[in-house]
Amino acid sequence: MLKQAITATLLSLSMGLSAVSAAEMGAKDETIKLTINEWTGQHISAHIAGEVLKKAGYDVEYVTAGYDAQFTAMADGELHGAMEVWSSNAPDLWKKMDEAGKIKDIGETGFEAREGFVYPLHVKALCPGLPAWEALKDCAAKFATAETIPQGRLIDYPADWGTPGADRMKGLDLPYKAIPAGSEGALISELKSSIAKKSPLFMVFWQPHWALAEYDVEWVDMPKAEDACFNDKSWGSNPNEVNDCDFAPARVFKVVWSGFEEKWPMAHAILENFSVGTQDQQNMMAAIDQGGGKVEAEVAKWLDDNKETWEGWIAAAK
Amino acid sequence: MAKPPTPPTARGTRRSLPPQALPWLGLLALALALPFFMSVLPWLKAWPVDWLLPLADWINAAMDALAPALKPTTRILSATLEWPMLALRDVLQWLPWPVLVLAVLLLAFHASGPKLAVICLLALLYIALSGYWRQAMNTLALVGIAVPLSLLLGLLIGIAAQRTKIGARLVPPALDVMQTMPTFAYLIPLLVLFGFGPVVGLIASAIYACPPMVRNVHLGLSRIPGEIKEAATFAGSSAWQKLFWVELPAAMTQIKVGINQTIMAALSMVIIASVIGGFDDIGWEVLSTMRKARFGESLLAGFVIVLLAVVIDRISAAYASKDSTQRTPLLAGRIGYCGGGLLLLCAAFKLSGFDPSITDPAWAKAVATWLDTRLEGIVVAYGNALTAIKNTLFYYYLLPLRIGFSQAILPFTWGFDFTQLMRWSYAIACGVLALGLSWRSGWRKGLLLAALAYLLYFGLTGMPWLVFGTAIILLAWQAGNLATAVFTGLALTFILVTGMWERAMLSIYLCGAAVILSFLLGSALGVWAATRERASAVIRPIADTFQTIPLFVFLIPVLMFFQIGEFTALLAIIAYAFVPAVRYTENGLRQVSPELLEVATEQGATPWQIFWQIKVPLALPTIMVGLNQTVMYAFAMLVIAALVGTTGLGQQVYLSLSAADTGAGLIAGLSMALLAMVTDRIMQTWARKRFAGMASTAH
Repeated sequence: MLKQAITATLLSLSMGLSAVSAAEMGAKDETIKLTINEWTGQHISAHIAGEVLKKAGYDVEYVTAGYDAQFTAMADGELHGAMEVWSSNAPDLWKKMDEAGKIKDIGETGFEAREGFVYPLHVKALCPGLPAWEALKDCAAKFATAETIPQGRLIDYPADWGTPGADRMKGLDLPYKAIPAGSEGALISELKSSIAKKSPLFMVFWQPHWALAEYDVEWVDMPKAEDACFNDKSWGSNPNEVNDCDFAPARVFKVVWSGFEEKWPMAHAILENFSVGTQDQQNMMAAIDQGGGKVEAEVAKWLDDNKETWEGWIAAAK
Repeated sequence: MAKPPTPPTARGTRRSLPPQALPWLGLLALALALPFFMSVLPWLKAWPVDWLLPLADWINAAMDALAPALKPTTRILSATLEWPMLALRDVLQWLPWPVLVLAVLLLAFHASGPKLAVICLLALLYIALSGYWRQAMNTLALVGIAVPLSLLLGLLIGIAAQRTKIGARLVPPALDVMQTMPTFAYLIPLLVLFGFGPVVGLIASAIYACPPMVRNVHLGLSRIPGEIKEAATFAGSSAWQKLFWVELPAAMTQIKVGINQTIMAALSMVIIASVIGGFDDIGWEVLSTMRKARFGESLLAGFVIVLLAVVIDRISAAYASKDSTQRTPLLAGRIGYCGGGLLLLCAAFKLSGFDPSITDPAWAKAVATWLDTRLEGIVVAYGNALTAIKNTLFYYYLLPLRIGFSQAILPFTWGFDFTQLMRWSYAIACGVLALGLSWRSGWRKGLLLAALAYLLYFGLTGMPWLVFGTAIILLAWQAGNLATAVFTGLALTFILVTGMWERAMLSIYLCGAAVILSFLLGSALGVWAATRERASAVIRPIADTFQTIPLFVFLIPVLMFFQIGEFTALLAIIAYAFVPAVRYTENGLRQVSPELLEVATEQGATPWQIFWQIKVPLALPTIMVGLNQTVMYAFAMLVIAALVGTTGLGQQVYLSLSAADTGAGLIAGLSMALLAMVTDRIMQTWARKRFAGMASTAH
């Protein structure tokens, strides 16, 4: 009991003022609709949040929704919450709706998101200086293909997520041509075939992602990101360019419909308190994607094992 | 003494150029001169940014202004459409699965006979056993509402097009745009207007699926013999009575073809609709597995769509070809069916201990894993060979087409430098050859050679826009007519001033490269299928599968074999676009009358001669339709090909989608539609001129 109270207090402190005021249940007979996007990690986040809301007495429905399309739905109040929005690939639609005040950012999900350059472990034998980024300079020819010769080949994010890979190759003055991947499936296919063939591969990737649990992949060590790196050309190894450093840590946050708090005040507070660790998330992902488990079952197991955590969210919301 | 006029010799006529050749000569001179001025006048190479028309901004401003006014109406409409769809979904989900299987079985039996019934039974059993029953039913609910909606719209528009002057003018180009504009290009405005959810998918399906219905209604009504209409008028029927009691029934055979095509088009949109989500359908499953690059699972899920398409297509096609005047099943027979059905139903209920909507079958998992390991095995075993194939085609085929010999020939691609001397030798050799060819076999062939040499030297993306644009307009004018040329000119101007030229050229390059290979592959298979029954029996179901399976499924193995890039995109496009070439080639060759072939054989023609001198020329009009369709299919695949990392108009569509930029999306989509329409118009007007007299001799 004491431990629970402490957790609750800590949580309410860390979550700011919203949890301080005692929240009402609100329209608990109306269904709260949470979005289910296209990736397993998000399914886990949504189900944890949804199940906890159910325990608190709400009616919850999970609705499949395209990552981009869900923001128009939330702006209209047709869907009510998205439990995993990544700053790295959030579409402009999110920004537009956010600026218009139709949806609301209610804080981070709790896991450490990371973006950066990765390579499968076998690539280390081809380019022995790795994981230091400087090693890439001399290895470019090893990564070259028909499309990129004489430069090396870097697989970048799909063009609609931005071009962080290309920006950094320019910033760090590395002789690599960034090829946009086109889709997440394409990135994973590259990874799979590189590991199968033991062929060179160097690409932009992110965590938490199930592939990091399933395959042996390493991050390239890069100069730590600071604000100056993105604004000040003179900062860093390349005096003539910005972006000569690692990725700024991505934010992963929760978004709800702007009318959410008024309609379900307590549920709103619970979702604000919602927070899951990177390791927990990645373990569940592996259990589902590799072990063939079901999202519902894995989430139920997590809820059993972490009762204190989620009871703390509810307690703090009351 | 007056000199007798020398009769024009054969050589003499060839030497004097006809007036049509003159503009081409002018263009040739321009094309050769331009590269020398490009460094001085950079706008000759790329249209300057300052001259662009801010059309996208205008569209966005208009959209922002109009959307609030339209929203109340569109939202009522989407609520009206959503209700029956959700109801149908609930009914299908509630229905015990054996009941549906039985109903389909009886329907298939009634439509065609025991053979079709068995095919449908097997197909549905697969869906039930694969663990995708629930998703398949949701998809069925979507299609179940999209199809009647498209049919109704199609019928109304078709009648309007046939009855009114405005309709006859406006409808055909509108249909072209509806069929060639990629759905992703207008997804954002649809989402804004109709709200999130399956209704948007429904509307997108209806937009794409109603044109075949319109075309067939129009065709059917136009073909009714005048006597029938007169008879109806004499009988004193009003215009409406005439339409409903005389004309529509008379056009029914054609309309049924339209119904079948509309159903298939609606099914092919299922996967696109699932990008929006909100319905937990089978397309969503395919997309999710594609994201994880799980080939096995995505193939199993993709097959559900193929089988749904097979069942619906075969049943509706059987009804369409059935003679409506003939009443086969008598009342007694129907009672017999129903009684037997009920009995079977009870037995099936007993058997249905398992619920296909919740089972997660072990066999499917095993098959999927097996497929994935196989795939990886192939990647490991043949990885180097596959890379060698890719590099060869890339260096010697794709690169010259895209950037031309002038940039493609480098020591690490072709093994040597393209020196100044070689460049001049290439130019002179091609010039001499072109002149020689026009001397010997007519100016057209010489011109073609010169154009090809020019194209391969500069590449499609390196060519000055003025040269490419003028050449296409000239082609449209001479192969088609003045109207085609004007349309082509306007379309290309639109692409140029909206800033889409560069991306359009990349798309044209990729499509062109794919069309050439698809057509070669497809027509070769078609010839084979036309000569061997067994080959035909094998090729047909494969072609059907390629056409209905969501091609996302094939992106994964192709990606694993050939990695991200244009080559993979090329293969993905070919996988879809070779099908019409196979079908039309086979049909065209099979339609050649056997009597004609007998006569030829009697006269001692060898099989080779018969093939090239009789069969191919007679089948050519049909084969050309196949080529036309191949081009259309290739354009349709551009958006999907962008998922493996192409940089043309397809990528622009995705960029605009994620930026929620309605204007840019519409412009990119419309550019694609215009390119497809221009190609289609030129080919059709040319074929109409060329084959005008042939239709009668072919039969």
